[in-house]
Amino acid sequence: MGKPKAWLEWHGSTLLYRATAVLARTVGGPVVVVAAPGQELPPLPSGVTVVEDPVEGLGPMQGLAVGLAAVADRAETAFVCSTDLPFLHPAFVRCVLRGLASGPDVVLPVARGFRQPLAAGYRTALAGLVADLLAEGDLRPGMLFKHCEVAQLSDEQLLADTALARHDPMLESVVNVNTPEDYAAARDRPPPEIVVECFGALAKKGGHRPRGVRTATLGAAAASVGLTLDRHVVAALNGDQITRDELLPLVAGDVVSFLSADAGG
Amino acid sequence: MAPGGFFGRALLVDVGGREATGTPFELTERVLRSYLGGVGLGTWLLHRLAPPGVDPLAPAAPLAFVFSSLVGTPLTTSAKFAVVAKSPLTGLLTDALASSQFAISGKLTGHDALVIRGRADELSVLLIDGDGVRLEPAPDLAGLAAGEAETAAKSRFGRNWRTAAIGAAGERGVRYATISHDGRHAGRGGLGAVLGAKNIKAVLVRAATKVSVADQAGVLAAARDLRKRSFGPATAKYRELGTLANLLAFNAVSTLPTRNFTAATFEGAPQLAAEELHELRGVARNSCASCSIGCEHIYSRKGGGGQRMEYENVFALGPLCGVSDPDDVFAASARCDELGIDTISAGGTIAWAMECVERGLIDEPWLRFGDGKAVLRALDAIGTRSPGLGELLAQGSRRAAEAVGHGSIDFAPQVKGLELPGYEPRSLQSMALGLAVNARGADHNRSGAYEADLSGELDRFDGGAAHVAAAVGTEDRAAVMDSMILCKFLRGVFDDPFTEWARLLALVTGWPLDADELRGAARRIVRAKRAFNLREGATAADDTLPARMLETPLELGSGRSAVLDADRLRSMIAGYYAARGLDEEGRIAAADLEDLLLDA
Ligand code: SF4
Repeated sequence: MGKPKAWLEWHGSTLLYRATAVLARTVGGPVVVVAAPGQELPPLPSGVTVVEDPVEGLGPMQGLAVGLAAVADRAETAFVCSTDLPFLHPAFVRCVLRGLASGPDVVLPVARGFRQPLAAGYRTALAGLVADLLAEGDLRPGMLFKHCEVAQLSDEQLLADTALARHDPMLESVVNVNTPEDYAAARDRPPPEIVVECFGALAKKGGHRPRGVRTATLGAAAASVGLTLDRHVVAALNGDQITRDELLPLVAGDVVSFLSADAGG
Repeated sequence: MAPGGFFGRALLVDVGGREATGTPFELTERVLRSYLGGVGLGTWLLHRLAPPGVDPLAPAAPLAFVFSSLVGTPLTTSAKFAVVAKSPLTGLLTDALASSQFAISGKLTGHDALVIRGRADELSVLLIDGDGVRLEPAPDLAGLAAGEAETAAKSRFGRNWRTAAIGAAGERGVRYATISHDGRHAGRGGLGAVLGAKNIKAVLVRAATKVSVADQAGVLAAARDLRKRSFGPATAKYRELGTLANLLAFNAVSTLPTRNFTAATFEGAPQLAAEELHELRGVARNSCASCSIGCEHIYSRKGGGGQRMEYENVFALGPLCGVSDPDDVFAASARCDELGIDTISAGGTIAWAMECVERGLIDEPWLRFGDGKAVLRALDAIGTRSPGLGELLAQGSRRAAEAVGHGSIDFAPQVKGLELPGYEPRSLQSMALGLAVNARGADHNRSGAYEADLSGELDRFDGGAAHVAAAVGTEDRAAVMDSMILCKFLRGVFDDPFTEWARLLALVTGWPLDADELRGAARRIVRAKRAFNLREGATAADDTLPARMLETPLELGSGRSAVLDADRLRSMIAGYYAARGLDEEGRIAAADLEDLLLDA
């Protein structure tokens, strides 16, 4: 592909930025990137931290062990994914994490015909077990699944989640990019359809009414209604967090509300 | 000689029987420089002149109209004054700001403050000008709306008098009655009841002198510059839609208090939104005296006439009571203005009563969420203090809840007795802290910490150290703006506020002020307010929020919940006390008390 997947351009940032920012806007807890020894990473959203994998070349199980250990003191469960999921939707993440509530150690989607260990939910307490298995030379996720309780989620079970069915009916959350052709095809897709509202002085005549636009980032959404996220403008994503992060990835079904930064008074 | 912009004296007006006497009261340069004017100076005056423990409605309780060095200069938005007293609603310090020519004429009577004490034998008007003070009986004004009283006073005494008056609610001692002048209100904390308790329907002032500033040319240049900046993007919201622009935006971010704070989004919000009303109604713009922003938006009402609408009155009489018909809300706002009552406290108290009716705690089945006519009927009952419901609700939600009992205090929307403004604490957690610790009670003007919550620079759902810093910072900035006095809607035009304000004040007063000295003044003013409250019996237990906010998660429009539990609030309050140099009980250190110059 000419460069590491983490660095592949994605609507003004990178695939890694998108993946971490989607997780950051979805989960309440920490977001951690596991980097190979000496690996240079592209810029990350604020609040996302990096832990270095002390051993190179042991594959995803090693990354899983390091990542789970890094958040075990702050979270009981974690969503674990690879860098290259350009269509990962928060509804998918929520659906998987919800599956952990009933008690299994792992929630493993079996989506679009494949097991998806790198788009799955894990109990962080598994960190020690994964490390032990690695020490014994078991480098494949399949070995881990033999030693713990795994709940699989089929396409049908995933799509029973109404939000996921509405916003990601083809389960493209698990589509990854392995070849230059995959990447080119993904990049050629139209951006997701979102809804934009402008309030107060930002709403030109009738502009406060919701309107649909196709954009992949908050900055592009602002530009689509003639705004810049300067000191006078902020945005609320789905009525929740307020931000000025132009690179914030948007996903199908998002509602972006632009407000005057001096709201109140 | 007094510093530029000041006279160096207040006038103590004692009314008694059928007479009034005026006594000058020296204000030293040290006191003026330490407290700046407005709310700061008013707080100092209350310390000095209010007997400890005084009943706010007793003759001995002082009511101070306080000006500042900037009043009367060409600086935009500076024609303001503070009214300061011990509140009959909270039993603590209250101060309210308002703007009109009353500020300029009041100051040009030759005084930096006018302090009224005593009680007239009959309903009277008090006149103050260069010839002194006098009391005129005015039984004919009884029951009139403030605006009507103002008109009557003008025709009786002449057009060059400026009037601040109360409505019927102030005469009858409604604990959240306002003082009004030129359609604007010193609204919060029941100042109208304090004036009413003195049997004074209106205070009339007439300019008699001039005041000079230290650097006339410098002030003119600064005024030109500030005026130019006041037309920029930082004030666009106020100019184009006014404060009502908040309503739809707050609804979108789950911070529009609805049905007595049981929700933070309101399905009827679009009908009440400025954006919609601007398309559907005639709208006129107006401004206070000496203001180049002009944030007032007056909407035409069905059946004729217009009504000035602000976010706070629409929130309180609309979503908070579940009412979505704009004409019902317009009518309720107009009724509050006629009676002379604070719309926020009125709406909060009525919304609490509606919830009590739902829960079977008050037997007034007509008083239901969503019924605009019921809101009007309740307002009339309050304004006349009619036996039963009117008398109960005229006391405000805290006293009413104490009377009704059955845990209804847990959902009374008040802090220290003052009803909450239209900012949901659970989804604005810097603001939650500001509301809890503020001296005036639940208040958005003395603590504008919502700015930080809505800036995107911190997590508004997860209050912590950053939220404490934001609450302290906005409280400090408000203390200076309210004392120097400039309208807070101008705040966004200052890039380096304390430095720029110090420069403005230096041009007017001649004091070589810098930003650090002004920061010190801000801390002093905030501390002086707390010191007054402590003197009047407040404790750390008063720095809190209603139990509802701390025990019930708030459902957000996004599907998540916002939680603000008591531990988190306590931890933020501890951070606030530490930042303010207070002990763990919120008390002031002896060295800091000395700095308040309470014996000066
Ligand atoms: S901005 Fe509005 S409230 Fe402030 S002085 Fe001007 S008109 Fe009055």
